[in-house]
Amino acid sequence: MVTKIVQLVLLPVLGFVIGIFFLGLYRKIMARIQWRYGPPLLQPVIDIIRLLFQRGVSHGIIFDFGLVLSLAGALTITLFLPFAQWCPLKGSGGLLVILYLMLLMPLGMELSGGSAANPNSSIGISRKFILALGYEVPLLLILLSVMTHYKTISLFEVVLSQQHSAWALLSWPLALPGIAYVLILPAVLGVRPFDITTAPQEISYGPMVEYGGKYLAFAHIHHALSLFIGISLFVNLFLGGAANPVVFFVKMFVVFTAGVCVNAVFPRLRIEQAVSYLWKWPTAVALLGLIIVSLVK
Amino acid sequence: MIDGLKEKLEKAFPRAAIVVMPDTDYLVTVDKESVLSMLAYVKDSGFDHLALVSCVDWMDEREFELVYVLSSYMKDNEQVNGNEKLNLILKTRISRDNPAFQTVTHIFENAEPYERELHELFGVYFEGHKRLVPLFLERTYDIPPFRKDFDTRQYVKKIFDNIPTIQDTKE
Amino acid sequence: MANKYSLNAVYFCTGCGIIEIPPSITARWDAERFGIIPVATPRQGNLFMITGYVSLKTLRAIIRTYEQMPDPKYTVGFGSCPINGGMYWDSYNTIKHLDKYIPVDGWIAGCMPRPEAVFIGVTHLWTLIDKDMANGYIRYREHYDQYRGNQEKLFGKLDWPPLYATATAQKEMAA
Repeated sequence: MVTKIVQLVLLPVLGFVIGIFFLGLYRKIMARIQWRYGPPLLQPVIDIIRLLFQRGVSHGIIFDFGLVLSLAGALTITLFLPFAQWCPLKGSGGLLVILYLMLLMPLGMELSGGSAANPNSSIGISRKFILALGYEVPLLLILLSVMTHYKTISLFEVVLSQQHSAWALLSWPLALPGIAYVLILPAVLGVRPFDITTAPQEISYGPMVEYGGKYLAFAHIHHALSLFIGISLFVNLFLGGAANPVVFFVKMFVVFTAGVCVNAVFPRLRIEQAVSYLWKWPTAVALLGLIIVSLVK
Repeated sequence: MIDGLKEKLEKAFPRAAIVVMPDTDYLVTVDKESVLSMLAYVKDSGFDHLALVSCVDWMDEREFELVYVLSSYMKDNEQVNGNEKLNLILKTRISRDNPAFQTVTHIFENAEPYERELHELFGVYFEGHKRLVPLFLERTYDIPPFRKDFDTRQYVKKIFDNIPTIQDTKE
Repeated sequence: MANKYSLNAVYFCTGCGIIEIPPSITARWDAERFGIIPVATPRQGNLFMITGYVSLKTLRAIIRTYEQMPDPKYTVGFGSCPINGGMYWDSYNTIKHLDKYIPVDGWIAGCMPRPEAVFIGVTHLWTLIDKDMANGYIRYREHYDQYRGNQEKLFGKLDWPPLYATATAQKEMAA
């Protein structure tokens, strides 16, 4: 009982801390790839503290509420994702609830961005929803394959089964959905070539264009948490999770560094190119994987 | 060189003065009544690109000199060999006291912003121009700024130096 | 303290000095080490660099951008044209002293300053922030009547409402 309460409090904090660390690491690794020194590793912390002392401008009640909604969704999902044997709400729906709650995060952000009455944010919102439509289709097929293969909807049991056998990415019927997930992972995380929704050079940060002060601080926290959630879901589903938190963190770190390297190299796709890419090869591979998994059973 | 253009121009416009220069190819000086017909004529002869409309302020002679810089972009005219690009400068004088002229936008449509600029900076009025509103400047000036009798230093003293610095009233 | 180590520079590029900003923020003279990163919108911005001469049309845009930035904000005049008119000291269309229209915290002299001068200016700005002397935004609020009066002397009637509800501003809104 006590451990459960401790985990309930600790997991969102842990997600927040690791997400902030990844944000700082992102800028540092990008800088080193570009042959320059970067900001200090604690730069996002300094940014968020400074932003909390600034006086932003509000645009109404929905502007405040949407951001709180997305942040609440992000903090809640961290309770459902196992972090190396710590999963306080593991018996409460697993993958179906995660799939459902993962839509709250962009929805809240777009609600508040949309009430800002700026044409840049309208363009950003439409791009975000079209991109979400793009990657939700293969993501759904991948999750269906995993749930069919392990005959469970609980993410915790998926992790346990992988620790008894091999990683799902390297085992036969699930290698195909694994490859499909690797192909759509930049879209889920929002790194280049899929950072279409906040495109600073084109639409001035999309829905975040009118954020200042504490709203921008919350947007940074939301970005950190969505990074943590995206990577943690992939590691749990296909890289076996871990029994040891340190090993789990090392796996997340490797996936994150690969994502940053992809971010440093690619330019940005247009939205129709992104959707046509996401609905072609990853969807085909995921569909093939789903068929093979259900036939093998 | 367009063969025979000088002779054809001299025959069509007897009162014009045409000089063939080494680097600008053709330098034509006309009186102000025949500018439009001369422009239409050289446009048909192959000078189809109006590059610039400019103005020179001859304050002592009390005249403005309008300058039209034309060039040719032809590639398939058999009178021009190859891709040679030719230039022509057309000059005319108008009076300075009440400067007004006809617009050339119905011959060359891209003269519209140049004539707007000349209107706001020199004060030349172009009859027939559809939209003679200011292009760059925000304020109205008594004397148009590019004329030689506009004293910029005095203007700066009158307008900008008279705006006070911010006083700290608390101390 | 956190104010000084994370300056988001509004990417408002005016005048000749815009050519000196991209070298400062790219790989050779890296400005991100100082925590400076350019942002695309003034709502997220902290530091406003006015790089170069300010014509009347540009001043209109500068005032509107400055008023959209959240407090606390710092302005840096870059180059010699905002200081006293610079090369355009007797021009009919540029303003000569930027300090009369928006509050400026520091100046970086040069025509154009080198990126090393930019970084020295930024570290001076840090010292000023530490000593609470970089209070341009406070001055703007306190002397808003004088600033708006100066702006109106230049432009006539302004087409944006006053930012702070001072006594003269309320009279103007009622009129």
